[in-house]
Amino acid sequence: MTMLARIAQELFWLGRDLSRAELTARMLDGVFHADLQGRADAISVTLSWEALLLVIGAQPAESSAARASADDGERALEKATTRATRDDVVRLLTVDAASPASIVSCVARGRERARTVRDVISTEMWEAVNTFHLELVRRDLSAAMRTGPYSIYSEVKERCALFWGLTDRTMMRDEARSFLVAGGRIESADMVLRMLRASLPLSTGASVREMLDDGEALALLHAVGGLQAYRRAVRAAPRTASVTRFLLYDRSYPGSVAASVDGLHYALSTADTSPRSAPPVLRLGRMVADLDFRRRATVDDAALGSTLVQVQEELAAVDRDVANRYFAGAAPRAVRSPA
Amino acid sequence: MADVSTPTPAPGYAPAPGCLDEVFGAGGAPWEHAGTRARSLAHLGAEGLAAAGRRRDAIFMDQGITFEVSGGDGDRAVRDRPFPLDLVPRIIPAAEWETIERGVAQRIRALNAFVDDVYHGHEIVRAGIVPWSLIVSRSHFARPVHGVRPPGGVYCHVGGCDLVRDADGAWLVLEDNVRTPSGISYVLENRVAMARLVPELFSGYRVRPVEHYPQLLLTALRSVAPAGDGDPTVVVWTPGPSNSAYFEHAYLARQMGVELVEASDLVVREQVCYMRTTAGLARVHSVYRRLDDDFIDPLEFRPDTLLGVPGLLRAYRTGTVAIANAIGTGVADDKAIHHYVPEMIRFYLGEEPVLRNVRTHLLADPEQRAECLERLAEIVVKPTGESGGKGVFIGPAADAAALARQRALVERDPGRWIAQDLVRLSTVPTTQADGRLAARHVDLRPFAVMVDADDVQIVPGGLTRVALVEGSLIVNSSRGGGSKDTWVLEDADQPRDVAPEYVPPTLPEVRYGEPWHDQSQQQQ
Repeated sequence: MTMLARIAQELFWLGRDLSRAELTARMLDGVFHADLQGRADAISVTLSWEALLLVIGAQPAESSAARASADDGERALEKATTRATRDDVVRLLTVDAASPASIVSCVARGRERARTVRDVISTEMWEAVNTFHLELVRRDLSAAMRTGPYSIYSEVKERCALFWGLTDRTMMRDEARSFLVAGGRIESADMVLRMLRASLPLSTGASVREMLDDGEALALLHAVGGLQAYRRAVRAAPRTASVTRFLLYDRSYPGSVAASVDGLHYALSTADTSPRSAPPVLRLGRMVADLDFRRRATVDDAALGSTLVQVQEELAAVDRDVANRYFAGAAPRAVRSPA
Repeated sequence: MADVSTPTPAPGYAPAPGCLDEVFGAGGAPWEHAGTRARSLAHLGAEGLAAAGRRRDAIFMDQGITFEVSGGDGDRAVRDRPFPLDLVPRIIPAAEWETIERGVAQRIRALNAFVDDVYHGHEIVRAGIVPWSLIVSRSHFARPVHGVRPPGGVYCHVGGCDLVRDADGAWLVLEDNVRTPSGISYVLENRVAMARLVPELFSGYRVRPVEHYPQLLLTALRSVAPAGDGDPTVVVWTPGPSNSAYFEHAYLARQMGVELVEASDLVVREQVCYMRTTAGLARVHSVYRRLDDDFIDPLEFRPDTLLGVPGLLRAYRTGTVAIANAIGTGVADDKAIHHYVPEMIRFYLGEEPVLRNVRTHLLADPEQRAECLERLAEIVVKPTGESGGKGVFIGPAADAAALARQRALVERDPGRWIAQDLVRLSTVPTTQADGRLAARHVDLRPFAVMVDADDVQIVPGGLTRVALVEGSLIVNSSRGGGSKDTWVLEDADQPRDVAPEYVPPTLPEVRYGEPWHDQSQQQQ
């Protein structure tokens, strides 16, 4: 059985957009919360607002407060700056319809894609996406932002969970579903890798960063919604290295990179007509084995930073393979030959 | 020092006469550390606070953060109510907290030494400081653990004190709690909720975090586990879902990532404690129990009940399982023993007490009794072995009949009662249903974790309980009290460490799915 490349691509990106909206909401909620509380060690959370923009790939609008701080290092002013920056970032990534990285933009794109593939997904799934979008449009988001963005984030998380729940319950387990799920999985793996890299720059080659304190690692776990899972699975104080390992390797936690890569591998090997010769499937098979090998082998914390880079590069290669094989060569811009 | 440059930002706010108000000083101007707070509150306004209050109730009901209230004495009707978190946090400046921290840690160390002494050498009795007859007559004195010394000599793994402030602002100790102090889950949940509900109030303050508590507790529980094969297994033992503090038991188990067990999950075989799992029996090394001694082991305590785990005490004595808090600690937080704590501190630690006791009178003593009965209308009388505000008699609030009743009770069994001077508790602005602020009385329960006999860690802040009724001094949540998020501020003199320059890694470009048409056109 085969399906239209165009439809497959829409489904894949529908999964990606919704997954991105959810992870962005979780990340903002986690960082927002950590930011409000001073840290005993007083080193601000490395998963900072600045790092967030990097994760999402958004451009910060230079705020007046940020400019002011450049000339003036006064403490009081610094406070005002942090505050302004936080509000700017939260707005940019949550409600700003002009920013493609914002949650509302992700949902709006997802809704357009769902409308395009209405005949392929179940009615209930379409309605879930549509009401999600409408609710965000209808609601007075600025008012919600003023009283704290928590209510928006919890709604985004719930609506995304509803969509994926309905997918499990009502959609045929066919090729179309595989592409939808594959999109959700690849985005989840990519976002977690970005978050890990942006917040824990255990850079390649350079000197190993000191073990970060509990607070930062906690913020990171909050930001992917994995704190309780971590506590059940690891039962040790959240330190940078152990949290990174958990989020990278632990298959039993659904949000980990390894679990997402597993899911992606499974989805594509089901969807592909001849998986044994499909480059993305083969590459993913190697990634699954490689992650498992590294989980057992890596004892050196210094190597974690370069592992993150390598895994993310592999994932980008998978992304290109997927576009080349299934979406009629609609490859990512980065590798597309000039027209 | 009131910051006089700021105009009074709370119209209609009247501090209670004769009490310290922790935000607005004399003349209605806010104290120095509270200036920013007062402005944020004024900016938020009554409507803002009332709206946040409605969101809070909805969130707490959704999350099941509720508690049970009984309608009154004798009324058994219990209802789920959202836990009454007040939206105005209480602020404790760094310097004040330093005193509290030192004082509470000192008390816990002394109480721990006392428990050890009670079940071993009786040094303090021989020194003539605490009468042996008083110790053995306490309801929580535990004969079966005589001579048992838990690992590291730690008895009071988790402790707390109830502190109040008098009109001069001095912190006084009202009660000690080294059995199973509860409320820490509300401290943690309150902070999470405040950050979500009124993030603007945090602006301008650096608040010390509290969220490391579960990790701290887990570390303490693991460190007392008997040495064994690899990782020790820790469990939280709850009396069950019908217990009023079940939320907290489940919360702590979840936060620590350990099993929440009931008595029927535990079994002792050949003096070793196990839990029943799907893979058979699994060894348990360390038990954080949230129930009284009486319900631990029917073979040793209370043979009339079937509650508990038969044989657990023998396993405990053998040292194959650690129990926290240790069995028999209740003798140290008895309200009659409280009177002797300052002496204990001098005796065991050779230090002067950092925190004073609220003046406590032993009614078993004929002289003190006579004096107290004379001024019964001015003092507070409490039963010694109870907690949760049960049976507390407040003289100034009592009518003639109640006075007579209390007098009869004391005269019938004086040893069961103690009296304390009435403290005019300090007040903090508290929101009412319409969002307006009013002065309400508060106390403070800091939580301590004893990691080893010399290392007592106090969570910055603790549970501030607030009486929600005007003029009331009763803060217990079971009797209509609420709570406040409690902020300990970072030391302002200590400059914030400069975070290392953030050098962002180079991440791949974020992709957005390009519309199909663009792509097919570009390919042509």
